[in-house]
Amino acid sequence: MTSPAEADTEVVPPARRPRPRRGVSLRDAGPPIALVVLFGVFAALSPGFRTVSNVQNVLDAAAVLAVVACGISFVLMTGSIDLSAPGIMGASAITVALLVANNRNDNDLGLVGIVVAVGLAAALGCLSGLALVLLKVPSFMATLGVSAVGLGVATLLFAGVQPNVTDPLLEGWAVERFAGLAHLTWIALACVLVAWAVQRYTRLGRYAFAIGGAEEVLALSGVRVAPYKVAVFTLAGAFYGLAGVMVTSQLGAGLVQAGKGYDFAAITAAVVGGTLLTGGRGGILHSTVGVLLVTVLTNGLVQVGVSPYWQGGVQGLIVVAAVAAAVIPQRRRNQVTK
Amino acid sequence: MTTNLQTEPVPPAPAAPPALEVRGLVKHYPGVKALDGVDLVVRQNEVLGLAGENGAGKSTLLKALVGLVRPDAGEIWVRGERVRLRSVVDAANHGIGMVFQEQSLVPNLTAAENIVLGSEGPGVRTGIYRWSTMRRLAQEQLDKIGSHIDPLARTDSLSFADRQMVEIAKVLRIEERTSHPPVIILDEPTSVLESQEIETLFTQVRRLREFASVVFVSHRLDEVLDVCDRVAVLRGGRSVGEVSADAEPADLHRMMIGSTGSDDHYHEGVAVRSDEPRRPRLEVRGLCGPSFRDVDLDVHAGEIVGIVGVHGSGREDLCRALFGAEPTTAGEVVLDGARLDLSGTRAACAAGIGYVPAERKTEGMVGPMSVADNMTLTKQAARCTGPIVRPGKQATLVDTWIERLRIRTPHRGTAIQRLSGGNQQKVVLARWLVAGDVRLLLLDHPTRGLDIGARSEVYRLMRELAATGVATVLLADSLEEAIGMSDRIVVMSDGRATAQIAAPAGAKPTPLDLVKEMV
Amino acid sequence: MSTPVLAQPAPDTPVVARPTVGRRLTSFMPLIALVVLLAALTVVDPGFFTLSSLTAAVRTAAPLVVLAAGATVVVLCGGIDLSIAALCSLATVLFALWLPDLGAVTLAAVVAATALIGLLQGVAHVLLRIPSFIVTLGGMSIYAAIALVVSDAGPIPLSDRDATHWLTLYLAGVLPMAFVVALLVVGVVSLVLGLTPLGSWVRAIGYSESAARLAGSPVDLVKVGAFTLSGACAGLAAVMLVSRNFSGSPTMADNLLLPAVAAIVVGGTAITGGHGSVWRSLAGALVVTLLRVGLPIVGVPSAYEQILYGAIIVAAVALTLDRSKLLVIK
Repeated sequence: MTSPAEADTEVVPPARRPRPRRGVSLRDAGPPIALVVLFGVFAALSPGFRTVSNVQNVLDAAAVLAVVACGISFVLMTGSIDLSAPGIMGASAITVALLVANNRNDNDLGLVGIVVAVGLAAALGCLSGLALVLLKVPSFMATLGVSAVGLGVATLLFAGVQPNVTDPLLEGWAVERFAGLAHLTWIALACVLVAWAVQRYTRLGRYAFAIGGAEEVLALSGVRVAPYKVAVFTLAGAFYGLAGVMVTSQLGAGLVQAGKGYDFAAITAAVVGGTLLTGGRGGILHSTVGVLLVTVLTNGLVQVGVSPYWQGGVQGLIVVAAVAAAVIPQRRRNQVTK
Repeated sequence: MTTNLQTEPVPPAPAAPPALEVRGLVKHYPGVKALDGVDLVVRQNEVLGLAGENGAGKSTLLKALVGLVRPDAGEIWVRGERVRLRSVVDAANHGIGMVFQEQSLVPNLTAAENIVLGSEGPGVRTGIYRWSTMRRLAQEQLDKIGSHIDPLARTDSLSFADRQMVEIAKVLRIEERTSHPPVIILDEPTSVLESQEIETLFTQVRRLREFASVVFVSHRLDEVLDVCDRVAVLRGGRSVGEVSADAEPADLHRMMIGSTGSDDHYHEGVAVRSDEPRRPRLEVRGLCGPSFRDVDLDVHAGEIVGIVGVHGSGREDLCRALFGAEPTTAGEVVLDGARLDLSGTRAACAAGIGYVPAERKTEGMVGPMSVADNMTLTKQAARCTGPIVRPGKQATLVDTWIERLRIRTPHRGTAIQRLSGGNQQKVVLARWLVAGDVRLLLLDHPTRGLDIGARSEVYRLMRELAATGVATVLLADSLEEAIGMSDRIVVMSDGRATAQIAAPAGAKPTPLDLVKEMV
Repeated sequence: MSTPVLAQPAPDTPVVARPTVGRRLTSFMPLIALVVLLAALTVVDPGFFTLSSLTAAVRTAAPLVVLAAGATVVVLCGGIDLSIAALCSLATVLFALWLPDLGAVTLAAVVAATALIGLLQGVAHVLLRIPSFIVTLGGMSIYAAIALVVSDAGPIPLSDRDATHWLTLYLAGVLPMAFVVALLVVGVVSLVLGLTPLGSWVRAIGYSESAARLAGSPVDLVKVGAFTLSGACAGLAAVMLVSRNFSGSPTMADNLLLPAVAAIVVGGTAITGGHGSVWRSLAGALVVTLLRVGLPIVGVPSAYEQILYGAIIVAAVALTLDRSKLLVIK
């Protein structure tokens, strides 16, 4: 017998039994397959694309974006968004250019200069996180603000005269090669490995993942979420800072605009790699595949003769398409989209 | 009002203090007194059932016990010691843990991580995960309840029953925080389990009793009596007594609903209708949607049809689908002879259908907007001349309806969120009435969260509207409400309309008649 | 019932949502800020409060006012339009390119084109259910790419400066025509929102989209309309920029995104939607402009401008946002 009171409906929607997932989902397998297919298509279309030197080019070109993507992946994992890469990269690019041997002042801090620049970037990232958890400003607004602050700091330090880097270490990163790839590419690879280890083996990484999955459950389990959110933005800031240093190394000079467009390119890479903007899905390896996809696409289009100016436009299209593809299966009639 | 006290004689004072004791717990919510002096004793190593109708205060009491709700008055004692519980962690430190009704696991973490979440101990050193230690810690917990789940499986790849095991394993971690046997609260653990899984769960509960006290909450009274040593009953935020495990479900049910004269406040028989056969106002034929199939339903003008069904019967989705707020996959709906366009809410509004959502605060009203703007949100033409809003016209219209429905508001310009729940609901209802063209009203739990007086006014309004010829579909808050208000009751089960029961004034079915059809 | 009765007392106590201190302050914030800024600048530099410098200030502000006004309606609906600046840049290029062929109707053509682009964005947002910031962020890079391609990445001089000459005139000798047009836009949008059901719909959608939809409001149409208006305003702002620079360029308006967002939030429009208005953004845009022209006057290097934008955006959003709506802030 059942009680009449059972007729009461609960506030929670009827829980549907989830089907256990088996094997590798299309979302996980799709991006690598797409990468291989895309590579094959361009290799078939363009003789210039399939040369060894071009493949080296693609990998070298992916280096900076890969580092930015490492940072942004942690933020996206938590379900937040980060638009602060251009500002933070600009600030760190100018800072490092002024701290290592350069034509503007007598500083010659070398590696210490790089560490300071990355530290400054981490501090800026920390600001975003604090604005999010203390002031409750939504992340896209907080990071837009912090990006402006970073650009302002960069403009202040720039002071109208471009600092050209003469530091051999930093210059060497971009020029010297090991096993056919520039040092920068190896640095990026190291970053990916470190980020992957953080994601897999640290509480910070796992909690970032969990925050995107079910933030309220963490709170119910007695976990204070706020410090982890701040830490995630700080870590992301540090990655952007290193990316800014890498751009400075590539250009041989510190530019305010060092990070222009990297925020969007990194979001594109992450989304294309299978990270959900709602958080809790994807990760560093997904984003890295996404970075290669975006870079191969960019390089391939140029190789087959498309104007490089279209680069951003293509990214814009694929990010909208990728988000739409991820959202459509979950659409509901009365869904609220902001 | 008779209170059917069937209290067992209190056993001779036990040597050990009770594992958990609640004295005179009070909690107010705006408009509702959720707890009105609850007393509860959980003895050591017993399974205590907790029963009560919706709104009896069960969930508020449970939340107070795990520190999610701070009571306004009253005391909580753990093993003879008064405690203040400020958070889940606080409660855990005192050895109280709860398995939540909506499972509180992080879906994208492994089972092991969920089990140790928040108290990883040696599983994490200086922020670095020791996966092997984690796995061992989790395995220890799973072993306690004899579960064979792989601790490193992703939680969302587990079955519902397995996830529940993970939750129990997680809750048992509080043993490490206290030297005493813990108190484990299970909130509606069986609501979505199949019978075999329920058996497994009951075995677990009996096993838990060996080293813990258990509070077991369920709507299924037979289960409660089956697994519990005794059952405490809440009604209207008060403890009204308890029954022993050998009691009959019917006795328990009688104690839960009390024997208040439930008929008087439903204003039965106010509506006058002719019984001559005519075409129904609403004809639903073979309608299929996300959680319902092949539903046929007729509603005549002036008739109130109640739809009842257990959790997951699909009645809410059906109601929303009729309003164009949920997609339909097959079937057709005819309103007054014209085929209804179910593609969206606008078409439904234009056809003269009104909908009062269950979630008043988030879906029914726009809180910061004024009473007047909320009332005229749908029927904009009623306050406009051409495309231009005429404030004077709106004021006259709104004031008329404030008076007719006796809405208590300082002014028509007051933000609706400052009104009491009952008055908010009247404004939401008035939204469909201002243009005078409503033909069908879909009321989804229209009295949820309202006190008796406000409920009574909503019932009066429903009767008056029915008397003017409005057809009404009612998803009631309780079976009594459905019986009291409806002229006819449709029972839904598993997404299908399985039975129709006439409920004319003077010949009402009893709740048990309906329940027979519902299972 | 002759006199309204107060809401009945307990146990049915209403939830009294009194305006927070922040909300009270912010309801007048743009005007207070405007007056304080003017006063401060006048104290520092008595020469500032003159007709000519004020005229110059409002003339500079005109494109910003128009950009912010359009995007405000999107924000009121609870969304955001991050593409306005890129779309505006694209529109300057289109104007310069189309002028030789289209002549007098170029303005209408450019505004129609940007309105259409805005409409497409709105449709993508509403139909594909993609968050507005992603759609418009994607739009931003698409428009920037198109602008680069069609302009070949360089400025395009105006073939006929007379075409935009009227915008550089002064009404009654003191009011710049561009600012008059901006005021007209603000006025018309405010009037339409105030006098028609659109105002109710926009606010209802912004405060609670699901409640608005279940009340039968045309949620999708209104949102698409808001994006269309935002696009059209970007086009109009582009013409104002062209009239000042005598050329179109693919990056001309890119640095207006932050000031425009700052104008909206400084005006007190909540980023969470519902609360706010278009005239507030007018005041906000004037505040932002005064800050920009005022910084050098008080001796602060203009490099601080960006930092200031960042800080006031975060501060203003924090002050105005509706916390009750955001249980989990992402």
